[in-house]
Amino acid sequence: MSDIGKVRLRLPSRIAAGDVVRARCLVIHPMERVERDRAGRMVDRKYRYIDRVTVTYLGRTVASFDTTQSVSENPVLAFTFTATGPGPLAVTFHDTHGATYEGRAEVRLG
Amino acid sequence: MAQRRGLTRRAVLGALGAAGVAAAAGVTLAPRAAAARELGRHEPVEAALTRLFGGRAMKDGSGLIELGLPQIAENGASVPVSVEVDAPMTPQRYVRHIYIVADRNRIPVVTRATLTPDSGRAYMAASIRLGETGDVRAIVEQSDGTLLQVRRAVRVTVGGCGG
Repeated sequence: MSDIGKVRLRLPSRIAAGDVVRARCLVIHPMERVERDRAGRMVDRKYRYIDRVTVTYLGRTVASFDTTQSVSENPVLAFTFTATGPGPLAVTFHDTHGATYEGRAEVRLG
Repeated sequence: MAQRRGLTRRAVLGALGAAGVAAAAGVTLAPRAAAARELGRHEPVEAALTRLFGGRAMKDGSGLIELGLPQIAENGASVPVSVEVDAPMTPQRYVRHIYIVADRNRIPVVTRATLTPDSGRAYMAASIRLGETGDVRAIVEQSDGTLLQVRRAVRVTVGGCGG
């Protein structure tokens, strides 16, 4: 679990100006499932899972996700953005325990 | 006196703790967390759809929405799903939300993607949990409020939800 919060953000190797680019992002996270006791009742505690993901490109939010415990452990998310210029792409994950994890990539045109 | 001091101390520590958490996580922690809990409830799928969309009509989106899913998911703990909508992404008209809903999950609403015209294309993909064999739907909400839906059955060999 020491890798928790590690983010890998992947972009295509070549991006031209104006391309609609597909990016893929993986984050290491347990996305805790609801537990049940022997009687089948839900164990009431504050489960730790990612509930919000935002994608910014050149400082603008291009997409975001609200996520629930029905998303897998170590989630993979993919999205698109229009490459209008060189600059940073950032994906930020927030979990229910208040932790924030970020993956960044530099968009280079050519 | 001792009791009163105890309460005061607790209040002060609580406030400090909350401030610390808020500072560590950024500013808008409380409303964000509340909104997400709202999305992922334990409920039947019909209740989830009513909660999210009221009684609004949903059109058949099968001509426009491509829902990518395996027919058989050997491991329900992580199933890849992708959604692509053949629709314009202009400031005048665009796909605002893509919802993924797994009918048979105890928490049926999986994710809600919020897109913008800067997304360029109405596309998303995610790895999701499927508790058992059943339908998975993609529900698309356009900027004018139009709702489109497609669904596909997925056979799950080993369920991955528990929940």
